[in-house]
Amino acid sequence: MKLIFHLLASLTISAAVDASPLVKIPAGVYKPLFLGENDAKEIPVAQFLLTDAPVSNGEFLEFVTANPQWRRSKVKRLFADENYLKHWAGDTDLGPQCDAAPPVTWVSWFAAKAYAAWKGGRLATTAEWEWVAGAGFAQQDGKKDPEFLSAVGQWYSSPAPARLPAAGSGRANFFGIKDLHGLVWEWTIDFNSAIVTGDARGDTGLERQLFCGAGSIGAKDTSDFPAFMRFGFRSSLKASYTVHNLGFRYAKSP
Amino acid sequence: MKTFLLTFILLAGLNAAEDKPPCCREVAAEKPLTDKSLYQIESKWTSDVGCEVKLGVLRGRPQVVAMFFASCEYACPVIVENLKEIERKLPEGLRGKVDFLLVSFDTERDTTAVLHAYREKQTLSVKNWTLLRGSEDDVRELSALLGVNYKKDAKGQFSHSNLITVLDAEGVIAFQQTGLNKDAAETIAALQKLPAP
Repeated sequence: MKLIFHLLASLTISAAVDASPLVKIPAGVYKPLFLGENDAKEIPVAQFLLTDAPVSNGEFLEFVTANPQWRRSKVKRLFADENYLKHWAGDTDLGPQCDAAPPVTWVSWFAAKAYAAWKGGRLATTAEWEWVAGAGFAQQDGKKDPEFLSAVGQWYSSPAPARLPAAGSGRANFFGIKDLHGLVWEWTIDFNSAIVTGDARGDTGLERQLFCGAGSIGAKDTSDFPAFMRFGFRSSLKASYTVHNLGFRYAKSP
Repeated sequence: MKTFLLTFILLAGLNAAEDKPPCCREVAAEKPLTDKSLYQIESKWTSDVGCEVKLGVLRGRPQVVAMFFASCEYACPVIVENLKEIERKLPEGLRGKVDFLLVSFDTERDTTAVLHAYREKQTLSVKNWTLLRGSEDDVRELSALLGVNYKKDAKGQFSHSNLITVLDAEGVIAFQQTGLNKDAAETIAALQKLPAP
């Protein structure tokens, strides 16, 4: 049964016109930004596959065409808020204001997860995503790549353009993955593992009570501002939220 | 097979129908679920009393829900105590008409046996308390639906939001309270506002 599912999934991938290829990401070690006393300083990441670009409007259109329950007018409110795919003209119509090539946005975590499963994959974990996103252009450790650091810094400090560029139009990083920075924010499977209660140790008794163990959580390296922003952004999300600059890509275990 | 036997052994001791745990009650087919009902999710869960169920079996009665893990030493015993306090303080009209649901984060260590031992240690009545375990993906999905953030640390403990949720009889979130040792009266007031089943 599983085999049939995988066969079907691979057929769909090959049938798609301009689907982003899955790229093999070597195993590595991710060093998280936020560390509690008991948190692992290093999280090993096993080898996995990741699409080289975020999922585009065109690709997502194929998904909703094949899965009517994920169309704008059909989706259950539990799984996506009322802004779901609001930039499209209709259920299966992008319309003149929306191109097929840019990354799909206005999608909830549930929708992203369902798309990934439809492709026979899954969403990346935050550790996997951050491990890949930490790579520079020319070398694996982006922190040692000045060109990469300045390009990333620039994006996080500039507003999103009115019309997004095509998914996959950015420069490939060391692993061959594009647009992790510079285009849209992305869902991860465990986006709700980010536990940030504001000013960690200076937080009030009330905030500390909201989270078990929150008093011990603090940022390891506050100079890594982009990573800090991503954590803050993730912690502000709810799974049914859709946002104008939040998309996703999918992963697969080998 | 094991699950079946366990179910059999556990259920053999329960004679009257109303003594069946919430997750093993018969659910009558009813009108379709509303768009915001958590009972729309298809995931399968295992109860400490051996039932393999979808959350939809809990339909029909309000549920007071929290996520926890059995080996938690700090917040979870407090959350469970908070739920027990809500149960103790229920007004006459609601007594026996509200169920309590605990779902474990710990997909590795919280086996049905561990959950069952936890039930006995905490003396949680089989009549109206459900303890569930599920797969990692399904736990993540439920936590996302409830708005519970959690993260496993290096020692296998979990940092997590402390959140008590009231689901109405249809599985829609009716009330949520964050933090520990909050006034049980607020949750009870929310339960009282629900339409009578």
